[in-house]
Amino acid sequence: MRETRVLTRRVGKYEPLDLKGYKADGGLVALKKALAMGPESVIEEIKRSGLAGRGGAGFPTGPKWAMAASEKQGQKYFICNAEEGELGTFKDKVLLDGDPWMVLEGILIAAYAIGAEQAYIYINGEYDHTVALWERLVVEARKARLLGDGILGSKFSVDLQVVKGKGLYITGEEFALISSLETRRAASRLKPPYPTEKGLFGRPTVVNNVETIANVPVILANGVEAYHKLGVEGEPGTRLFSISGDVKESGVFELEVGSGTLAEFIDEFGRGTASGRPVKAVQPGGGTSAFLARASLGCRLTAQAIRQAGSGIGTAGVIVYEEGNSAVDIVKGLLEFYGSESCGRCAPCRIGVVRMREIIEKVFQGEGTTEDLEQLRQIGKACVEVSTCGMGQSFPLPVLSALELFPQDFEVAIGKVSA
Amino acid sequence: MQKFEIETYQNLVTDVGGVTAENLFMFLGKVQEAFEYVPREVVRDVAIRTGFSETRIYGALTSYRDFKVRLECNG
Repeated sequence: MRETRVLTRRVGKYEPLDLKGYKADGGLVALKKALAMGPESVIEEIKRSGLAGRGGAGFPTGPKWAMAASEKQGQKYFICNAEEGELGTFKDKVLLDGDPWMVLEGILIAAYAIGAEQAYIYINGEYDHTVALWERLVVEARKARLLGDGILGSKFSVDLQVVKGKGLYITGEEFALISSLETRRAASRLKPPYPTEKGLFGRPTVVNNVETIANVPVILANGVEAYHKLGVEGEPGTRLFSISGDVKESGVFELEVGSGTLAEFIDEFGRGTASGRPVKAVQPGGGTSAFLARASLGCRLTAQAIRQAGSGIGTAGVIVYEEGNSAVDIVKGLLEFYGSESCGRCAPCRIGVVRMREIIEKVFQGEGTTEDLEQLRQIGKACVEVSTCGMGQSFPLPVLSALELFPQDFEVAIGKVSA
Repeated sequence: MQKFEIETYQNLVTDVGGVTAENLFMFLGKVQEAFEYVPREVVRDVAIRTGFSETRIYGALTSYRDFKVRLECNG
């Protein structure tokens, strides 16, 4: 297995604030092309590329832009979601710090395509260095006429605001992020209407993840045909995988979609488990993705294969747990985190997560019963089915999959069988 | 910097080119960084500048972990 560096190819090759270095290495070619093509053609190209969102939900990018672009009158907004709060996920930071001009170029093209004059980048509040870098980048970009009125001498104008997140996981959810920018409590909303119809301040808004937007200049500069040479049918291109947990080395690696299996990835890039014991379970798509047991590690690194194996590729944040961990402990840790992050907007998540946390605590203390486990399962299922946003719909998935894959851990904890 | 100083505050307003609904959240972050909390005087002032009610602004501020609405005693 080898890395295929397309999105990360310039990372470390130029000083992050050095626009000349970026230009010398193929930078701004895509933006100039886009300005010559016109917004409709840009959207057509992105549609044809088959690019799908990299923030977790995997929504197709081209159609999303087309929806926002269809509104012709008045203000529209583009938001780059750099909140990256998902557990085990730290890939966007690599792009934000290592090749910020490419991300900015993607933001400019997106804003141009949908007709937005105000763009935002909402950066995780813990990424102090990244926020400071982007604030300086905006100053440099204004000087170079890449932000402000008449970008590169065209009629297109846009400004970018760098916003620092304020320490809430839920602001990674698109409506919670929008609420935050409206100076409201960060909370999800019922959909529809989608942000592309009624988003920020009630205006059409596109929210894209950093990695998604970094694909845009690559697609436009090299062409859709070149983009389709990488990846598999229906999932073109490359993807940034984070790896963490019980591995010898954690890090971020860019891989061609489908280039290997989960087991190979853990062995070759994570250098195996931390203690050398076999892998017990893996969350392939961040902290809210369902567990895969060792038997499923032969699945290829594509969204489709991981879905078929019973989980989801989500943010491609691979979290590895080795043998020796109890599923009860892992689930308890996850529920403690998500329990303090529910926004409270809808009852199933707000109440469900608290009840689930109470039950797992009871089980952990050795006071649980079989009925408790059944209740944990029922609440989890209800939460997945009726929650408003992606968080409530997905945080119970690891719990439900743990109950299914590792029932013996729970039985030992409630004293039904001895360890 | 901890005590609220009108001059520091006015400089922050100038730096962002005036406070509007569209940049208020970002601006409040700058205020938080400068004073380590968002003073009441600021909430009143930005409420007038943006047309948002003080209640809405406090509602937002008190819901985020990294915003403080009063100066915390550090022992």
